Amino acid sequence: MSTAASGTKTIIEFDDKVVRQFLVATMVWGIVGMLVGVIIATQLAVWQANFNTSFLTFGRLRPLHTNAVIFAFVGNMVFTGVYYSLQRLCKVRMASDFLSKLHFWGWQLIIVAAAITLPLGLTRGKEYAELIWPINIAVALIWVVFAVNFFWTIAKRNEPTLYVGIWFYIATVITVAMLYIVNHLSIPTSWTHSYPIFGGVQDALVQWWYGHNAVAFFLTTPILGIMYYFLPKAAGRPVYSYRLSIVHFWSLVFLYIWAGPHHLLNTALPVWLQSLGMLFSLMLWAPSWAGMLNGLLTLRGAWHKLRTDPVLKFFAAAVTFYGMATFEGPLMSIKSVNALSHYSDWTVGHVHSGALGWNGFMTAGMVYWLAPRLWNRKLHSTQLANMHFWLGLVGILLYVAAMWMSGITQGLMLSATRESGSILAYPNFLDAVTSTMFLHHIRAGGGLLYLAGFILCGYNLWKTAWGAETVNGTMEVFVAEKRHAMGLGRGFLNAPVLYSLALVAFSIGWAALPATWGGLCIVGILATVMGAVTHKEFSGTAWSDWYEELLANSLQFSLLTALAVATGGIVQIVPTVIMQKAGNMEGVRQIPYTPLELAGRDIYVREGCYNCHSQMIRTLVGDVLRYGDYSKLGESIYDHPYQWGSKRTGPDLARLGSKYPNVWHYNHMLDPRNVSIGSTMPNYPWLFRDKTGVEALVSKIAVQKKLGVPFRETTLSEIQESCAKQAGVIAADLKTAGVETPPDREIVALIAYLQKLGRSEPVKPAPSAPPVVQR
Amino acid sequence: MNTTPDPDQIPEAPIDVEDLRPHVYDGIQEYDKRLPNWWLFTLYGTIVFVVGYWAIMHTMGLASDPGAKVTEQIMAARAAAVKNSPEINDAKLWAMSKDPAVVATGKQIFDTMCASCHRPDLMGMIGPNLRDQQWVFGGAPMVAVKTITEGVLLKGMPAWGPILGQEKVSQAAAYIFSFHTEGEAVEIKPWVPVGVPGLPAPAVPASTAAPGAPPGTAQ
Repeated sequence: MSTAASGTKTIIEFDDKVVRQFLVATMVWGIVGMLVGVIIATQLAVWQANFNTSFLTFGRLRPLHTNAVIFAFVGNMVFTGVYYSLQRLCKVRMASDFLSKLHFWGWQLIIVAAAITLPLGLTRGKEYAELIWPINIAVALIWVVFAVNFFWTIAKRNEPTLYVGIWFYIATVITVAMLYIVNHLSIPTSWTHSYPIFGGVQDALVQWWYGHNAVAFFLTTPILGIMYYFLPKAAGRPVYSYRLSIVHFWSLVFLYIWAGPHHLLNTALPVWLQSLGMLFSLMLWAPSWAGMLNGLLTLRGAWHKLRTDPVLKFFAAAVTFYGMATFEGPLMSIKSVNALSHYSDWTVGHVHSGALGWNGFMTAGMVYWLAPRLWNRKLHSTQLANMHFWLGLVGILLYVAAMWMSGITQGLMLSATRESGSILAYPNFLDAVTSTMFLHHIRAGGGLLYLAGFILCGYNLWKTAWGAETVNGTMEVFVAEKRHAMGLGRGFLNAPVLYSLALVAFSIGWAALPATWGGLCIVGILATVMGAVTHKEFSGTAWSDWYEELLANSLQFSLLTALAVATGGIVQIVPTVIMQKAGNMEGVRQIPYTPLELAGRDIYVREGCYNCHSQMIRTLVGDVLRYGDYSKLGESIYDHPYQWGSKRTGPDLARLGSKYPNVWHYNHMLDPRNVSIGSTMPNYPWLFRDKTGVEALVSKIAVQKKLGVPFRETTLSEIQESCAKQAGVIAADLKTAGVETPPDREIVALIAYLQKLGRSEPVKPAPSAPPVVQR
Repeated sequence: MNTTPDPDQIPEAPIDVEDLRPHVYDGIQEYDKRLPNWWLFTLYGTIVFVVGYWAIMHTMGLASDPGAKVTEQIMAARAAAVKNSPEINDAKLWAMSKDPAVVATGKQIFDTMCASCHRPDLMGMIGPNLRDQQWVFGGAPMVAVKTITEGVLLKGMPAWGPILGQEKVSQAAAYIFSFHTEGEAVEIKPWVPVGVPGLPAPAVPASTAAPGAPPGTAQ
C-alpha cells in the first residue's frame, strides 16, 4: 500500500510487436511440433513409417517432438503471454526493445539449431535435455537476456505492487535457470558431443529433478501466470480469491521441486528418496487444485458466455484438464500404482492430457483473445474457432483414453504371473505390444484431430492478421516520483518467513536425524506451529500488511522465491552427489567399458534407444521374473549419461548381455522381425554401412577418465588396437554363424555394447560411513 | 416458451463488492474469499498422511528393503510351484506327444518362443534342427526338457524354465517329439549354427532382406 506521492501523468506505448512475433512463432512451431508428434505416433503403430532412414527413425524424432512442443511451442506461447501481460501489469513498456528482439530471434535460432541437430543424432541422451552443449550455452544466454529484460521491466514499473500472475513468472524465470544449468553440466569431447558430469544414480536424480520441474516450471507456473491474467480479462469477472492465490503460489513452488524422484519409483534409487518423491507428489494435489479453483471459480457469473465465446471455452476446458492431470499425477506417484503405470503408455497419456489439454488449450484461448487486440480486427471466424475446440477436445479424449487402456493393459500383462507366481503369464514381451496395437492407431488418430484443430487456428489467425493494421496498446499511467522501499532484511526477518523456515528446518531434521535429535525436532515443530498460531492471533493484520509490502518489493520477493525452490533440490541431490561412490554400489560394481563398447554405447545414445528401452530392472516380481535380478546402484556407476529410461515400448535391456548370440543382434538390428515376429522396432541399415568413429574415442576416453571412469587405454594406437581386437573376435564369431561383416562397422561396436549390458563384479561392502539419511 | 435465451441478453451477475480488494490491475479485480473447507481438508489430509507414512516407514523403520522383499517373494513362489507341479518322465512325454490338444498348445509355444532360432519348421538355424535324428545331447524327451529348462547359455540358448514354467516346457517338448517316434535310432552330433537364410551380405541394403525370407540351402 503505497501512499499517494507526487508524480506526473504520461501516455506510454507498449511493445506489442514482439508479442505478435512470439504469437506467430507459437503457431508455426506448435504445428510443426504436433506434426512430428503425429508422425512418431504413426511409427509406433506402423513400423514402416520409419522409412529405414536414420534421421526419420523414432529414436531421433521423439526428442525432436518433445523439445519442439515444450521449448518451441509452449516456450514461445509463454513469452507471448509474459510480454503482453507483464507490460500491462507493470504499466510500463518492456525495459529494452533490443533485449526483446535478441530474445525473440535468439530463441528461434535455437529452435532451428535443435531441429537440425536432433535428427542428425547429435544428442546428450537425456530426456528433454538432449540438445548438444553449444546450444545449451545459447539457451542459457538467451534465458539470461530474458531474465534481465524481465526484472528490469519490473524494476521500472509504474504499478506499486506485483500481481499474482507476475509471482508465477518470477518463479519461472529463476527456477528454469537453476534447473537448466545444473542438469546440463557436461564436459565436451568435441564441438558436438559431451558427457554429463553426473553418472548413474546421480545423473538419474538430477535428470528427474530437472525433468519433472520442466513440467512444473516451464509447462505449469508460467501458464498459471497467464491464466491469472487472461482468464479474468476474458471472463470480465474478479479473480476468485487473493488469499487462495497466496497459498497456491507458495505451496506450489515449494513442494513441486521435491517431487522429481517419483519418476524413479521401485528402481535402485535409495528408498528414502523414493518416499520423498511419492509423498511430495501427494502433497501437491491440493496446491495444484488451488490453481484450478482460482481459474474455474473466477468463471462464476460468466459461465453462460461459454456458449458463444471460444476463448472461455478453451480456458474452462484447459483448467479442467489441469485439474484432471494434477489429480492423476499424485495418483501415479503412489509406489504401488506406479508399479503398474510406469514405463507404460499410461504415463504418455498423462503427460498429453497436460500438454494437449492444459498447455494447448490455454494457448488456443490466448491466441483467440489476443489476435483481435494485436491486429485491431475482429477474429476472422468464431465458427472456425469453435470447430477447433471440438476437434481438439475429441482428439484429446481419443488420445488419452487410448493411452489409458493401452497403458493399463501393458502394465497388467507384463506383470501377470501364473504357477503360484513363479512364472510370467506372458513371457513374450511382444504379446503386450501386439495386444495394444489397435489402441496406438486410435492414439495417432486422436493426435491427428488435435493437429487439424491447430491448423484451423493457424488459418484463422492468418485470415485475421493478414493485411490488418497492427496496433500497439497504449495506456495513460501515473509515474510516481518515489516509491516506498523496504529494507532488504525486512524481506526475511519477518514472522511469517521465520516461522516457515523454522518449520521446514525442524521437519527436515525430524525426517533425517537419528531418534534423539528427531525427537527434539518434533518439539521444535510443535513449538513453531503453536508460536505461529498464537503470534498471528495477536498481531492483527500485521502479517498481511507485511505481505502487501513484500509485493511492492520485487527483489525480496524474488529472493524468497529462489529460497523456496532451492530447498528441495538441496536436500535431495547434495547427499547423493557428495556420498562416496563406494557407498552407493550395493555390493556390485559395473565392469568398465572397453573402447569399442564405449563407442557402441555412444551409438545407442545417438539412436535414442532410451526412448523405448529402459536399463533398470525394478524391485518388482514381474520385472525380476522377466529380466533377471533387480538392478543395483553399482551397475550403472560409470554410465555418463545414465540410461535407465522412462518408457518400455520394447523390453528392458539392463541384463541383455550374453542373452543372445552375436548373430541374433546382427539379424535383429538389420530387421527386428527376422527374430521377433510382430516387433515394431525400426530397421537400422546404416549401422551396417557406417564405420565406427574410433578416432573420436581419444577425447571421449580422456573425458571419461576425468569423470572417474577407469579406462586403461588412452592413446590413439592403444584404442585402435583394443577396438580392432575386440571387433575382430565379434566379426569372426559372426562369420561362424554365417554372416560376414567388416569389423570396423558400427554394428560390431553396438553388438559389443549390447553384449556388455549387465556385466558387473562383486565388491566388498564399503567401510560403513554414517548414513546421510536413515532409510 | 423459448428455452435458450440469447446469451447476450442474460444480465451479468453483479459483482459482490464486499470481498473485493481495493486494488485493480489492468482492469483485473480480485476477491478475497475464504478457502473452501473441502479444499483445506484435502491439503491437511495429505500432510497428515505424509507425516504418518514417514513416521511408520522411515522413523520407525518398517519400510522393508524392496530388493530383499522381491527376492523373498520369488523364492516362495518357486518353492510353491515345485510343490504343486506334477512329476514328468519320458513315458508321460511320449504320451503327451500323441495328444493333439497338447501338441497344438506346444506348437503355439514353439512358434512364439523357439521358432526364431530353430525355425518354424524345426529345421534349425541358429539352434539345431529338431526334426532329424541327430541330437546334441540325446534323443530322450527328458533330455530335451532339461535342455529347454536350463538352456545352453554358451551357445546362446536361454534357460526357458524360469520363463515358461514346467507345464509349458513339457508341452513344447511334446510338440517337438510329435515329429519323432519312440525308439528311433539317434546320433549324437554337435550343431554348427547357420546364418539366417536369405540374409544379404552387409553392403546390400536391408530392404532386400524381406522378413520371413524363404529358407535357403544353408543346411
